[in-house]
Amino acid sequence: MSQTQTLWWASESFWKKMAIWITAASAVVLIFLTFDTVAKITAGGKRVPAYSVINHRIDYVFDEKRNHQVPVIGPVEPLFGKVLSEAEAKDLVSKGKLTTQAKNCMNCHTLLGNGAYFAPDLTKSWLDPAWGSKEVREQLMVDFLMDPSDKLHNALGRRMPKLGITEEEARATVAFLKWMSAIDTNGFPANFKPIDQADAAPETAPPPVESAPVPAL
Amino acid sequence: MIEPVELANFFTVFFSAASVILFGAGYALLFAWSRVSARPRLMPLAYAAYLGLAASVITLGLAANLFNSGFWTFIVLLMLVGYLLAPHAVWHLCVGTHTDAPAAESVKLTQPR
Amino acid sequence: MAALGILDSANLNGGQKLAVKYFTVAIALFAAQVLFGLLAGLQYLYPDFLYGVLDFSVNRMLHINAMVVWLLFGFIGAVYWLLEDESGVPVVGLALGNLIFWVFTLAVVAVVLVYLLVQVGPGELKSIWLINEGREYIEAPRWADIGIVVCVLVFFYNVAATFMKGRFTGIGGVLVLDLVALAGLYTAGMWYTPNISMDQHWWWWVIHLWVEATWEVLVGCLLAYGLIKTMGVRRKIVETWLYIEVALLFGSGILGLGHHYFWIGTPEYWLAIGGFFSALEPIPLVAMVVHAVFDAGHHKLKSTNNPALAWMIAQAFGNFFGAGVWGFMHTLPQINLYTHGTQWTASHGHLAFFGAYATIVIAFVYLAVQKWRGNVWMSGELVGGWKWKWALFLLHVGMLGMTMALLVAGYEQSQIERAIEGSGWMGYFAGQAHPWFQQGMVWRMISGWTFAAGFVLLAWDLMTIGKRESRPARSVEMREAPAMA
Repeated sequence: MSQTQTLWWASESFWKKMAIWITAASAVVLIFLTFDTVAKITAGGKRVPAYSVINHRIDYVFDEKRNHQVPVIGPVEPLFGKVLSEAEAKDLVSKGKLTTQAKNCMNCHTLLGNGAYFAPDLTKSWLDPAWGSKEVREQLMVDFLMDPSDKLHNALGRRMPKLGITEEEARATVAFLKWMSAIDTNGFPANFKPIDQADAAPETAPPPVESAPVPAL
Repeated sequence: MIEPVELANFFTVFFSAASVILFGAGYALLFAWSRVSARPRLMPLAYAAYLGLAASVITLGLAANLFNSGFWTFIVLLMLVGYLLAPHAVWHLCVGTHTDAPAAESVKLTQPR
Repeated sequence: MAALGILDSANLNGGQKLAVKYFTVAIALFAAQVLFGLLAGLQYLYPDFLYGVLDFSVNRMLHINAMVVWLLFGFIGAVYWLLEDESGVPVVGLALGNLIFWVFTLAVVAVVLVYLLVQVGPGELKSIWLINEGREYIEAPRWADIGIVVCVLVFFYNVAATFMKGRFTGIGGVLVLDLVALAGLYTAGMWYTPNISMDQHWWWWVIHLWVEATWEVLVGCLLAYGLIKTMGVRRKIVETWLYIEVALLFGSGILGLGHHYFWIGTPEYWLAIGGFFSALEPIPLVAMVVHAVFDAGHHKLKSTNNPALAWMIAQAFGNFFGAGVWGFMHTLPQINLYTHGTQWTASHGHLAFFGAYATIVIAFVYLAVQKWRGNVWMSGELVGGWKWKWALFLLHVGMLGMTMALLVAGYEQSQIERAIEGSGWMGYFAGQAHPWFQQGMVWRMISGWTFAAGFVLLAWDLMTIGKRESRPARSVEMREAPAMA
């Protein structure tokens, strides 16, 4: 116990080398994984779809094999009635993303679960049943974004402020939200009940007043 | 890949996960204390804390559905073995890095708080 | 040397004169963090409070940004504090360091004014350049990002060049390499992309690899220096343990990044990687516990600076509970699916940031004040010693209260909003309206006021501690005779 000679596995130089090697090895593994991950989350892949996906219906359906809900790209259902090219769609989604950043959305809402917790998660806001029906959803979202201050939110009195969002920005934001809802998030949020998007029967039941985000028309 | 926790098991998961860390600390604390103050009578208490840790890990494994897949079962085993050995390894390191000090000498222990 | 108990910069070396400037701004920003935290907390209870004037988003942004910047200022100050002592030579670019301090401080003031007065911009790139980037924790506009990187690089130059001119200790070596990583990682979060998955993927490089890797190691360096200074622990042992700590922290922390890659569009293998490294997370904590007991067995815990030592011990406990217990409770993906993005995260974040980082900066400020007053007595029976004790007590009671209240709220939220209602808009508000949540917010607010009271006392104490003392500080060397650590 009292030997003066330091044991090799307890020596300063050994742990200095260990610190360097462990850090370097972890960093190398991380870099390899990063290359793979970046390739897989580049828009246009299986997990993160191309921006032109906003031309289609997007749903969120339980997948038996993966044991959670996954986004499903449906038939053509263009946003605001206009089919966009990939480049146009990218520009629109990008404008929407810039709007979410410039308006500081993330310091009340969460996007993909990250952000602040003062307002609902926006990951699947495009699919939220509280919008009432899929026919009116786009316009309700635009109206709401442009001036939420006089719209009904909830029974708590918590309201989104008017952030000076223009119509162009509001439409772009809706495009961004629609595109975001098509990202494969490994089943987050779980047990989400998407809005009815079936063609036959348009859902018209108004949501309960106390917790609906739907503007009072 | 994963099987999400059942609603009924939420509390069990949170509680057992917290217990894993607390028992782990208790085990490490008692283990080190027993050695540093040369009180072998404390050692059974340290291992009792480890048993609590093991029970917590297994409870966590059951509640979080970890035994349903090979990988997550491996993680549970890793925790059981790793947390058992870690205090021993760290103790040896402490002794090893303080070689010219009579480590096992009985010194009146002051609570580290 | 001036009389004992008088604040006099003649008591400080060049680096330390700069350090106390950083500490002063750090404490002012800490005050801002508390203030905007209180405002944001009130808005949970009174949603119309400051609605349309200072909305929750603005208060919350200032709350978390003030935190990041005050901790950063505190770290920079702490490094300047130990730099000359550690390297044995005066800081190489002190004039440049001073200039950069003023540039950095003015930039922070400008950013805060823009946050307060402009708040939001049009959905264009120029808003991101000039107003705010809208990305949690790193909201600072692009011009400020570039400024931060320049400031950190100058800081890095000062540290590296000073160590190179003087002696390059083990602490110095780890510190310099850590600062390279710190500056480099920040650039990962500076680029715009329309792709939110890509955005958050790189955003976590900054947030996680700063907070859970490079900051931890930086604090390890500061603690190592602090232990040598306040307790006279031998350097060789401290530095060996610093390397062990680096190995454990980077070994578990770098790929621990995986636990943020569960739900943002990143591939499924991150669930396994995140789970594996989550299981490793407690190992550095176990090492810490065993080592602390081992050390305590050999020391009588008599220190030259009781408040600093108390805050360093608080750091150990805060880190253990905040990062360890609170982290592990919701880190496995099986449960994180339901806790991700709820007040769980807020609960964990509050305790972990305070426990792991705020505590160590406060400890250093106490070390600084002691020397600033001519190395005055700060051990037992200190004149007016009740203040630091009560500040420590109130800050901890407030923080634990907030953490518990948010935990209860988050627990309810994970069940009602997430698991049962499936995270829709209506589910969200059902969760927010639940009594557990509502009462949690009340208790959080009460605890927040307690914390604020503790902060006021802390600030008062930092300004006055040692003022009426005439005894010189206890000497560390005197006790080093048994040469043990």
